[in-house]
Amino acid sequence: MVVTDREHHSAHDAASVPPDRLARRTAFSGLGSITAAALALPGVIASVASAQVAPLEEGVVALKVHAYEDRQPGLTRIRAISPSLYIGVPVASAWSFEATITHDDVSGATPRWHSAISSASKMGDHRTATTATVTRSFERWSIAAGGAYSSEQDYRSRAGSLELRVASEDNNRTWSFAVAHTDDDIFPTNRAVRRATRRTDEFGVGVTQNWTKSDVVQLSITHAQGRGYYNDPYKILDIRPSERDQSTVSVRWNHSMGASGDALRTSWRFYRDTFGIRAHTLDLAYAKFVNDQWTFTPSVRYHTQSAADFYYDPVYDAQIGEPFPVGNPTFSSPDHRLSAFGALTLGARADWRIDSRWSADFKLEFYEQRGAWRLGGGGSPGLAPLKATIAQIGITRRF
Amino acid sequence: MKPILSVNNYLPNRPVLYGLAAGLMLLLSGCAFNPPAPWERGDLAKSSMRFDNDKLDSLAQKHTYFSKEAASGGSGVGGGGCGCN
Amino acid sequence: MNRARAMGQHLRTLSIAALAAFAGFPLVSHAVESGAVAPTVSLPGISATVSTSAQPGRWVYVDFWASWCAPCKRSFPWMNAMHAKYQSRGLLIVAVNVDAKRADADRFLKQNPAEFTIAFDPAGETPKRFAVKAMPSAYLIDPSGRVRWVHRGFTDADAAKLDAELDAALSRK
Repeated sequence: MVVTDREHHSAHDAASVPPDRLARRTAFSGLGSITAAALALPGVIASVASAQVAPLEEGVVALKVHAYEDRQPGLTRIRAISPSLYIGVPVASAWSFEATITHDDVSGATPRWHSAISSASKMGDHRTATTATVTRSFERWSIAAGGAYSSEQDYRSRAGSLELRVASEDNNRTWSFAVAHTDDDIFPTNRAVRRATRRTDEFGVGVTQNWTKSDVVQLSITHAQGRGYYNDPYKILDIRPSERDQSTVSVRWNHSMGASGDALRTSWRFYRDTFGIRAHTLDLAYAKFVNDQWTFTPSVRYHTQSAADFYYDPVYDAQIGEPFPVGNPTFSSPDHRLSAFGALTLGARADWRIDSRWSADFKLEFYEQRGAWRLGGGGSPGLAPLKATIAQIGITRRF
Repeated sequence: MKPILSVNNYLPNRPVLYGLAAGLMLLLSGCAFNPPAPWERGDLAKSSMRFDNDKLDSLAQKHTYFSKEAASGGSGVGGGGCGCN
Repeated sequence: MNRARAMGQHLRTLSIAALAAFAGFPLVSHAVESGAVAPTVSLPGISATVSTSAQPGRWVYVDFWASWCAPCKRSFPWMNAMHAKYQSRGLLIVAVNVDAKRADADRFLKQNPAEFTIAFDPAGETPKRFAVKAMPSAYLIDPSGRVRWVHRGFTDADAAKLDAELDAALSRK
């Protein structure tokens, strides 16, 4: 998966930045490694432990290649190519083993301030991430233990999780209770700090209900408490609180369209954290059953968020030059991810069922992020739109 | 002169939240609660109706959005399916 | 007026039912268990009508299955083996398909050929009469028409156990 993590994005229009400013920024830019400060393993709970109460129905091996490219007006370009592998094996009808491995190969430039500007800050990085889960299923419940490991040049993340699932007697409802712990270690190559750490505990509760024979609904709530280093060591004036609590409430609803075999998938998530960010994310996908071999799924996703309390806008001053936070605040960050914006993804996926054993999938997505697209207005000013294209191809074999 | 530090971060979210919640309730209430019998779960068993349909894809998506947006987590839990024994 | 009241009552009942259902209390639990008189099966089969009432004095193994049910698929080779093994001792295996679409069942049968008797019930009337609780579900019916035992689900671990139970039942007569 794409490690697009870095702040390659957005920011000023090149035109709005005088050439001498560009030069100055180049001088500031370290060689660079990337990143990080934020990579980690997002949403460990969902990604690590995701078995159902019932054990895996059959063995599955899936291979995917995910390609990513940023497009910004005249500025940075980040490319990433990420092959990944999934293996799922049922054992003795009560156990399931699942594992994934992903390798990211990222190239491009990394920014010093809000955006990536300097051609001097070329970067290249690799990340390898693995997850493994073992699930023991009983008649009405299952327990899953998972682990995840991710490492790159300046970052290492380790996580463990436990998830309990309990199905109702009629098998129409499943409760899920999950806990996870993540240890992150950051070793910035610029020695901003020698070694920094972050510890995160996550809790989640979810319920999935077969509402009718054509509708399934899921409600889930997660809460994460993180303590430690949240700064981006490669940015100037990036000082963030050392605590971050994050909560989400999400509702998902899938509806089967009856005889046609089509399905409408919807989800909505509300997010808030102690950085002061509030976000809503809405997802819609329509799986169109074309024939026994092909399913075509167009999708749209909209995300809107407020800025972190300590985010400062990229406003260049004629006298002072570089943007800087007003006054002398305890915390500040120019990370565009912490700005207020709206983002839209349009995508399409084709699933090809070659035979009862083999299947393939193809996906293309276009992503765009703009301050002006924030719901209700009030998006952060001065950031150029960020556009990205994602292409993915996968093949699956069942045993 | 424009303020450099952005304020107004909380503005429209509460009404939006309530609006969405109300909309969802409405949609769901239009669709009476009538859980299926065990032999009626054929549609629910389809892979297009599952929440954890493609693990590699959901991992990739999570990672991509994590790199661009502040919000993460809550992408849901598994479940659903045919509920076979 | 009365009608309005009846409607109110109806609504109340409905909401209680919905609540109870959501809270996980099964409202209807008249499952056909062992010892009960088995409902009869009379359904279209592949070429002719399949009727258990036309089989007095035989042991009948009624199985409910669907194309979308993975454990059902695992049970097919086993049912073929049981058919081969116990046919001569008077066992009749009737596997009732509950797919809403016949085409789905046909595709499944092409990939998982069955030597035992297949019947089709897309409307789900028969599983309703048996109050089937899980997929798959199997009912062993003795020659007197009573359910001898019920088995829900199917795992590879069940295969040997069920085989032994069939053998024991057929030996007792």
